[in-house]
Formats: sequence, C-alpha cells, structure tokens
Amino acid sequence: MIEQYTITTTPKYNFPQPTIDTTLPQRFLEQSIQSLKQVQPQRLQLNQQPFQQYHNYEQQPSHLRLNHTPITLKPNHQETTIAAVDTSTIKIGETATGIIIAIRGATTWKQNRQYHYTRLGPFIFHITEENKNEVYNTLEKAYFNTYYNSNRQASPHLTQMPTRLASLLERWLQTMLAKTVSHGLILFDGSLTSGTFDTPVQRMKEILSLSRRNKSIVLAFSKMTSLRVNGYLITEQLPKHEPPYLLETTGLRFKSPMIPLGDVYVARLNKANYAFRLDIDRENPLQQRMTAVEQLLGNDLHMQGYPETLRLSHILCTFTANEVLAIKHFITRKHGIQIINRPDMHRLLFGPFGRGEIYS
Amino acid sequence: MKLYKKEGNILQILSFSNENAEKGDYLLVEDPEARKAIIAQVIDVQFASIPGVLEELLRTLPDGGVPIQGEDIDPLEIAPHITYIQDASLLVCKIRATLENERLSPSSSWLPSRSQSTIKKLSVPMLLKLANVEGNRPIILGGTKDSSLLTIDATAVDGTLNIITGKKGCGKSHLSKLLMVSLIGYKATVVIFDLNGEYSSIGMTTDGKRNMHYHKIHALTPSQNFKVALEQLHLNVVMGILIHALHLPGTSAREFRRIWKTLQDKGNLTLSALGEAIRNLNCNQHVRDALTSRYHALVNSGFFTDNLAEATLLDESLLKSKDEGGAIIINLRNTSTIDRQILVEYVLGKLVDSLQSWKLKAVFLFAEEAHLYLRETYWDDIVTRMRHFGIFTTFITNQPDTIRESIYRQADNIFLFNFTNEHDLDVVSRASRVDAETVRSIARDLPPHHCLTLGKVVQDFPIVARVRTLDVKTMGETRLFFTGKN
Repeated sequence: MIEQYTITTTPKYNFPQPTIDTTLPQRFLEQSIQSLKQVQPQRLQLNQQPFQQYHNYEQQPSHLRLNHTPITLKPNHQETTIAAVDTSTIKIGETATGIIIAIRGATTWKQNRQYHYTRLGPFIFHITEENKNEVYNTLEKAYFNTYYNSNRQASPHLTQMPTRLASLLERWLQTMLAKTVSHGLILFDGSLTSGTFDTPVQRMKEILSLSRRNKSIVLAFSKMTSLRVNGYLITEQLPKHEPPYLLETTGLRFKSPMIPLGDVYVARLNKANYAFRLDIDRENPLQQRMTAVEQLLGNDLHMQGYPETLRLSHILCTFTANEVLAIKHFITRKHGIQIINRPDMHRLLFGPFGRGEIYS
Repeated sequence: MKLYKKEGNILQILSFSNENAEKGDYLLVEDPEARKAIIAQVIDVQFASIPGVLEELLRTLPDGGVPIQGEDIDPLEIAPHITYIQDASLLVCKIRATLENERLSPSSSWLPSRSQSTIKKLSVPMLLKLANVEGNRPIILGGTKDSSLLTIDATAVDGTLNIITGKKGCGKSHLSKLLMVSLIGYKATVVIFDLNGEYSSIGMTTDGKRNMHYHKIHALTPSQNFKVALEQLHLNVVMGILIHALHLPGTSAREFRRIWKTLQDKGNLTLSALGEAIRNLNCNQHVRDALTSRYHALVNSGFFTDNLAEATLLDESLLKSKDEGGAIIINLRNTSTIDRQILVEYVLGKLVDSLQSWKLKAVFLFAEEAHLYLRETYWDDIVTRMRHFGIFTTFITNQPDTIRESIYRQADNIFLFNFTNEHDLDVVSRASRVDAETVRSIARDLPPHHCLTLGKVVQDFPIVARVRTLDVKTMGETRLFFTGKN
C-alpha cells in the first residue's frame, strides 16, 4: 500500500515522489500489528473519560513586543501549490496492561483550484509499559536512523505515547511535503517553536531547510496561543484596520532548550473577527514571507480567517465517533479482544458531576 | 442482530448489512433462560443512530460541486469496518406473539434479555407451522421473499368477509381470480359481479385453450343469455328492485303490489299483462305515471322476458355449481347504472331465496367496486344478515374509502396491495384485525403483484407474498392507444 503512495502531477509540483523513504509508515504498520498481537488474550475497557491532550504550553517569552502598525496584504493570485498536514490521535480503551490508541495523518493540497488529500492510517497500537520503549525507539530509528540514532531521547510516559507517536507521524508527513513541494506553501498546524520532545530542534530545522531548498515556505498557524503582550493575548489586540493584514512581533526569545525557528506574526486574513498566530520560517527574507502570505490569500479559501487546506487536513485526520466504533469492531473481530464495561468510577461516585475534565 | 429497545409491543433491533432483514420479515427473539421467544415482524427499517455519521458524511461532501480527490492509505483495512458500522440498521418490529412450550400466545408483556437473547429470521413455512396455518384444502397464494410458498386453507375464507384492495394495476383482480379458481376447485359455488367483463374467460388458458375449470364457468350476460321471467320472480325481489333500484315511492309501491298479486292470482304474470294492468289502473295520475315509468325501465333493461325458455340459465348454473362447484359470472359490462342495480337486486334476492330454501348450501360472492351497484342498505345486510344465510363476500376495490367503515371493522381477511396515498392507508388501517403501523409501513412499499395478507387466513400474522401467476386468459387489461404503434 505504501508503495502506491505516488501522485504524479505537474512538473512544478510532484507530490510525493517515488523516492520517498517509506520506512516510517512501514514501521508504524509493523509495530501496530506487533503490539496488537500482544493484547489478544486480554479484555478491553472502553475509554470512559475524554482523552487528555498533553499540550506543551510554551514558556512566556520575555521582551515580546507587538507592532500595532499593520502590514497590509494584497492577495496574489499567481498559481501556487498550497499543502498542509495534520495528525490526530485517540485513545480507544484500556487493557489490563496498557492502552489502545489510534493515530492517523492527513496531507491536503490545493492545486489547479482543486483540493486533494492523502490520509495515512489509522494505525492502532497497544502500548504497554513493556513495549512502549520498543515501539517508540523502533519508530524513531526508522525515521532518524542517520542523525538521531545515537542521540535517542528517553521514551515518554505511557499517557504521553499517543501524542508522541502522532508527532512522529506528523514530522514525517511534514518532511515528505518539504521534500516534494516546490515553489509552494506548506502549512503546519501549530508553531515553529522547537526544542520540546515533540519538536526537536534539529528535526524542525531540517524540515525547514528542505522546504527552502525546494523554494517553498513554511507557514505555521496556531489555533490557540498563549503569547501575551502587556498581559493580553497577541491575537486579541487587533487594530481598527481593514483586513487582510499582519501584525509583527519582535523580541521573541525562549529559555533553553526552546528555540523559535520562525518569526511570529498575528494574521487577520479576512473580515471574520478572528486572528491567528502565524509563524513564518525566519530564514526566509521578509519580502518572501509577505509574498507567501499574499499567495496564500490569493490561492486558498479562508473560512473564519483560517486556511481551508489546513482546515481540511484537520477534518480529514480527526476520528469521528463512527470510526472509533469501527476500530473497536476491528480489534474485537481481528484480534479477539473482548470489550468489557467496567463501571465508570467518575459517574458512579459523582453522578452528573462526574463527567471528567473537558479538554479542548 | 441485537435487541436494542422494547416499547409497548414495538421492538427495536440493531441489524447489520450482512443480515439482510427487510420489511415484512419475521424474527424469532429467543431468551434461553426464560425459555420463551418473541415472534416479531419487521415493520420498518431505519438507519441506526450511529454517533459521528453526520461528521463522516459531511467531510465526504463535494467541495464546490466537485468531490475532493483523495487517497486513503489504510494498511489495517479499517474502512470496511467503518462501512459496516455506518450501514447498521434499526429494525422496528411489531411483536406478534410469544412462543412458549411450542404454543403461541398473543402476549407481549415480558421482556427478553437484551444481552442473552438470540435473534434469527423465522421462515414463513416455520411461522405457518407454528401458527397452525394448515388444513386439507390448501390454496397457494404465492411465493414469499424467502422462496417459500404462502399457503392458506380454503376453510379460512369460509364464512368470512374479505377485502381485496390496492392501487390500480397492482394485481387485485388477479388475486380474486386465484381465490375464485381455488374455491371452485374445492367444489364451492362462487358468484362474481364482474364490472369490467374480465372474468368471463377464466375457463380458458392464456393461449386460448380450455382449462380444467372450463365447464365450471358460467358467464351470464344480461339481456343476452341472462334473462328472467316475471313468473320466476318473488314479489319481494321485484319490490326490492322497484324501491331500491328504481326508487318507487311508497304509495305507488302499494299499488304495484296489488297489481302483481292480481296478475299472479290470474296466472298471467307477464310483462305485457303487467303493462296492460298499469295502463288500465284506475288511480291517481301521478301513481300511474310513476308505475309506467318504472315498467318501461324494466322493459328497456332487456333483462326481463316472457319467454320461460330464455329464463332458466341462472337456476341451471346454480344447480350445476351446487354439487361440483362452479363460478357464476354476472357480466355487468355495458350495462347502465340502473340496469346494474336491477341485476344485483335480482341476483342477491335470488341467492337469498335459494339459500333460505337450502337449494344452495353457501355462496362465495366476489363484488368488484361494489359501490357502483350496491345500495347503501345492502352493505350491512351483506355482512350481517346475508352472512347467516351463507353468502360470504369478498369486496375488491381500488378505492378503499368507498367501502364503509363497518365493513372494515368486521372484515376477517384483508388482502392488501400497494397504496401510497395516506388517506387510503388510513381507511384500511381501521380494520380490526390490522394494526395501523403495519398497514402504513408495509403496504406503502409493496412492489406490484405483492400482497400483504392479514387476518384469519394467516392467523393474524401479516405475511407478504408475491401472488402466483395463473394460467387463465386475462380480460381485464386496460385498452391502450399506443400499443403496437412505433
């Protein structure tokens, strides 16, 4: 299946090329099957509480300033390929020894006024304390054999495994886009701040470098930001100016080991009263960055000021309740895992107040 | 299949696409611990309310009219499982009976175990066996969806009131012919009011040859081979014709009765003598005029004759049918409304006479679109008084609202073909042996020539069957203008 991951388009944009290293998705599949085999004689307790997303909240940078003079933008309709990537993970349930999770990634791209997508997964894993190191390290090795084998990070806590594995897949998909999209725009979900477990500096730098080599520019949109100036969120200090425009920030510095790889802007791309934090690869000259945003305006739709290509990536990789049911059906049928229904202790003890924490 | 919900006598069962349950199917919900089972019939098939389906559909929606082109790399092959879940259906079922110790009871008061119950399809032959729908006079109505035969027993239509109804062109007449042919096969006497002249050729095969019923079919066409002499008529029958069909007022009716008795006493009960007597009647001019006009209506119908030799066919036919069975087809085609009413009054009066005097044991009467010739008071008469004499009626209509509600309430069997009109379905659902949800849900989706059989013949287990073909020459087809034209 992975070998078929080839779409031939115009010479300007070949996504992805046959030369792509498919080791990582292959390892994902192998580890998925391998881990599910270990769960066979066990029973599965369905997930009762909403899955807890572990956000890596950024440190509040000191000396951050927001320039309230808008950089006015004019949509540039020159045909430009726009590609985006997003991944999603969900906890399906718990076994006596671990958790069962599903991971899926999606890349979307707009070319010749049409949207296209490729979805990879879902990959289903049974992660236990026993196999988590093997799973994580095997996947790390598959992707970063050349550079990171000797510098392997400690495998994460069991509860962090879903986001870690999803991040691995996301970085791989980002790398693939960086390798294959030329003269285009690559949209990431999140920021370009590196230095966390999920965003190793070297890895992020390599992705940005690859995209620059292919004359593409990476734009990272954050749906939420914690960056504040004078105590107010940067996305809530919008001047009275006709959109589209950008607001520039300066003085962004984090404490080690976190490094910002992009310059941070506040982007208000249409009349909808929403603005987003936008990180643009700081290695690109200023003029190129502005042109990139203008090309994005001229080539993509913007619902509520958010690029449609990125929105589609998110929508396509998100697990619906229907899919979760299907995954449960799959693990029951294919792997003989019996689903049990233990009482939900939150509900049992607290009744209607026992809904657990709600995470966005 | 899994039991999901029970509300009153409605069960909701979760079913998956590979289980192929459809409207009309019977399911057996067995609770091994309770040692009981529920027999339920699927009356509606809905999509199961699966969470996330809306989101799933929304993201596959076309983008600006063009579907988003894409590729799903699904190495674990989860997609078939998604489809499987998405296509899950909810079977809304009506509880028909409880099976306990191989005995059926109409109870639906117990609750089978949701987790332990097993649900399987119940074939029609098995259901019929459990319901004791068997006998030694089988009538094969047709084939069911599970390729078995729906066989009813002729005794189940004996002494009953039946209704065959459905949209135009869905096979009502075909079923009535099938029932009729089957009944005469068991030596029953059948009388048909044939409005469109479509039963006359029932003794012929489709290729025009005589079939086994040929000698049992007596087609009577009024004023041609079906005439009656006044001498053969009982005064009550004549009065019935004059009062109900020709609307003769009371005073004039009294005069007529007097004239009739005078002529009868003289032994001169002929048309010409009757005409002469009315002409010479010394009475009020209005009364004479009233009698004269009715007399001319009788004469003009061409149905009455003074020639006794011409007027014996109905008696002969009834006599022949008495022992070996037979169908007396009263061809009402090409007759005026008044003449039709005269004929029907006469035939019904004659049948009552014959039954009262035990010349006949019982008669199965098939009445097509009876509202066109049956007077108001006869409806109740047929279902109450005449039934006791031995006239067992089957009404055939495509306008269910023309049959009175009291008839539906007393109907023992209903053979229901497709209806899409809500009003029609409402009317039929008033029948006491039918539940409205079943009628509304199943009848609406019946394909042509498929019939929902309800009532005594199927022991109140509604069953859908495709009515079997009959090798008889059809005459009821609509004449078309464009047939044969290029």
